[in-house]
Amino acid sequence: MEFGFGEKETLFKDEIREFVRENIPVKKYWIMLDEGETDEDWAFIMSISKKLAKKKWLTLSWPKEYGGLGVSHIQKMVFEEEVGYWGIPGTTMGISGTGWVGPSLMIFGSDEQKKTYLPPIAAGDEDGVWCTGYSEPDSGSDLASMQTYAERVGDEYIINGQKVWTSCAHHSRWMWLAARTDRNCQKKHDGISLFLVDMQSDGLKVNPLKNFVGHHLFNEVFFDEVKIPARNLVGTENRGWAQLMTALSFERGMAIGASGMMRRLIDELVEYVKGTGQIHDPLVRFRLADLVMEVEKLSLLGREAVWKVERGDIVIHEPSRDKAFVDELLDRLTQFGVEVLEGYSQMDPLRKDDRWTRLRGMIEQTYYFAIGMSIAGGTTDTQRNIVANFGLQLPRS
Amino acid sequence: MDLALTKDQEMIQKSSREFFKKECPYEKTRQVKVTAPGYDKKMWKKMVNLGYLGIIFPEQYGGSDGEFIELTLLMEEVGRAIAPSPFFSTMQCGLPILTYGSEEQKEVYLPGIAEKGDTWSLAHSEQSGGYRISDIQLKAVSDGDGFVLNGVKLFVPYASTSSRLLVSARTSTNNISVFMVDPKTEGIRIETMPTIARDDRGEVSFVNVRVPKSNILGDIDNGDIIIDTIIQQSSVLKAAEMYGGARAAFNLTVNYTKERKQFNRKLASFQVVQHRLVNLLTDIDGLKYLVYKAAWSIATQNPDRILNSAAKIKANSVHTDVCRQGMYLHGAIGWTEEMDIGLYHLQTRAMNFDGGGSDLHREQIACELEKQTPLFKQVLTCS
Repeated sequence: MEFGFGEKETLFKDEIREFVRENIPVKKYWIMLDEGETDEDWAFIMSISKKLAKKKWLTLSWPKEYGGLGVSHIQKMVFEEEVGYWGIPGTTMGISGTGWVGPSLMIFGSDEQKKTYLPPIAAGDEDGVWCTGYSEPDSGSDLASMQTYAERVGDEYIINGQKVWTSCAHHSRWMWLAARTDRNCQKKHDGISLFLVDMQSDGLKVNPLKNFVGHHLFNEVFFDEVKIPARNLVGTENRGWAQLMTALSFERGMAIGASGMMRRLIDELVEYVKGTGQIHDPLVRFRLADLVMEVEKLSLLGREAVWKVERGDIVIHEPSRDKAFVDELLDRLTQFGVEVLEGYSQMDPLRKDDRWTRLRGMIEQTYYFAIGMSIAGGTTDTQRNIVANFGLQLPRS
Repeated sequence: MDLALTKDQEMIQKSSREFFKKECPYEKTRQVKVTAPGYDKKMWKKMVNLGYLGIIFPEQYGGSDGEFIELTLLMEEVGRAIAPSPFFSTMQCGLPILTYGSEEQKEVYLPGIAEKGDTWSLAHSEQSGGYRISDIQLKAVSDGDGFVLNGVKLFVPYASTSSRLLVSARTSTNNISVFMVDPKTEGIRIETMPTIARDDRGEVSFVNVRVPKSNILGDIDNGDIIIDTIIQQSSVLKAAEMYGGARAAFNLTVNYTKERKQFNRKLASFQVVQHRLVNLLTDIDGLKYLVYKAAWSIATQNPDRILNSAAKIKANSVHTDVCRQGMYLHGAIGWTEEMDIGLYHLQTRAMNFDGGGSDLHREQIACELEKQTPLFKQVLTCS
């Protein structure tokens, strides 16, 4: 049993921290959402993506033939931990690009698709920014009930319908789209396919949605007779659900990054309460100790899942187990944070530089953000259902 | 990073799991716990013969030179089977003898444990009922070539049949020393306390008890450090035992909900039941790695105080949660003595106590946080 890292990982950590010192003015940019809140932020994010691409860090775990470094899952994990802790922006290429579009294309994509779409992602180009079209107004947790329809006509598919909560659509060059291709199938899961959609297509409209804090992170996307070439189908028609489940499991493996982020929040809060003297309050000490313990637990659960993947196990329920725990813990941690900030927690998290804003607004921002996180990628309770069915083999309810 | 057990560790886990399963079925646990000594001495002899007692001692003291992780794995199996014995308390005392004892002390006492199965009990807690060093009042006054001890120790495990006591005592207003004491020494009286775990906890009174100076463990007035080490190491061992117990109690519960039907459905098919079970699973999985990582840190000579305390805090809450929610999910039958889940719950309070309660460990983590310079400050200020 070995919990420590080897020399390679340790040196890599140092290199990442060097990158942080050189490229990320932390005072200004922690914590930045990968959608960017302003045009200025987005430009900064893309500039970091370019620098990361130069080091091939955008695609660390991709095979060398696709422009990656082909590193182990463990080394990738080290990177994600550091990304979370330091708040390194621009690692995802529109949230979807490096995370699941690339890896899914490597499994299910045609050679031509791989050749066309992987290099711009790896290069950190504007053309490699992807959004994901899954949710619809009437298809949230019940994703398989989606109604957006893609009809095969000659060499094209014609798409009609609507997607919603589409993060980063306003910056994206491409969409990773799930749509219905068979309306008459017996099981709703059997008639879904995945497509690669040009966001500049005629008939495609992006309508911004602001979240309740006022951030423009996600959008509605409307499809009115949008035509795409048939070669933009990913894998096999009507087999999209299984491919989508694979992609979703990439998305849920986010415990490591989240644990890095939460460690940072705790470190910042500890420094803060040392400064205010609240560190001497037994209740603050008590809650801090519990949170440190829980974040360590999260980090270890995340590591377990990565280690299992590294040794070749198929992990099915672990990412869901960890996602549900991330949701719960982020709630608890930010609740503690705002209580420690007392009156100052009322500040607008968009006003990071205001003289009354504490800790650059990171506590408030995460506090409001946590609720969205718990819904994105499958709600907390949906994850629990997955663990119940696949982890504990409990009968379906 | 490789979280797999080594071949040796796997073998120890497998063989000890089989051993305790065979030696300690629930029925036997019910029987031995009724009267003192509260455990099966024949099983104890077998544990000695299998080398469990010396697993972590060097060969020269009758041990097999194993690592802390191996001892941790054994504790996990003890907890899984609810195998009552003075194993934990003996290790709790044996480890500090190994670390702080003089060569002579080690030669005298460690082979006694490893080869003969001498049982040891930590006599540390007093009226406050906790593990805090500051609560120690038992006095040791220097007198000629020895000390005279006066005071009362409480909750001393398996006290009435103990071969030796490890006693923390105040040697001056600000100093603690630790004494190794024969419980048959004149002036010691042991009365069994009626604890619910039936683990023969004793109230041990010391009235003018003479102990030779040579029975001080390590150096005089070094007791703070020794007791701290005991807390650090034994919190991880107890947490391992609690992890094993929590996993077993959880499995009993999952199996029960898969069998039991109400409203023509299995209990396990109700989402409200599933989510409870999933939350417990997450906690139990997390506890496992907190314990293992803490044990690994100790084994690699790089003990991590935050981890040690985190493991015990988590163990205290998870073991209790699994027992209470597990019992609840069994319905009324779970509340009867017939069901095995209750055997686990009867231990929750003793286990929370051993190695230190949650608040003591929370305070330890807070003290560490206070001392540390956070990573972001270290990295960002050196540029």
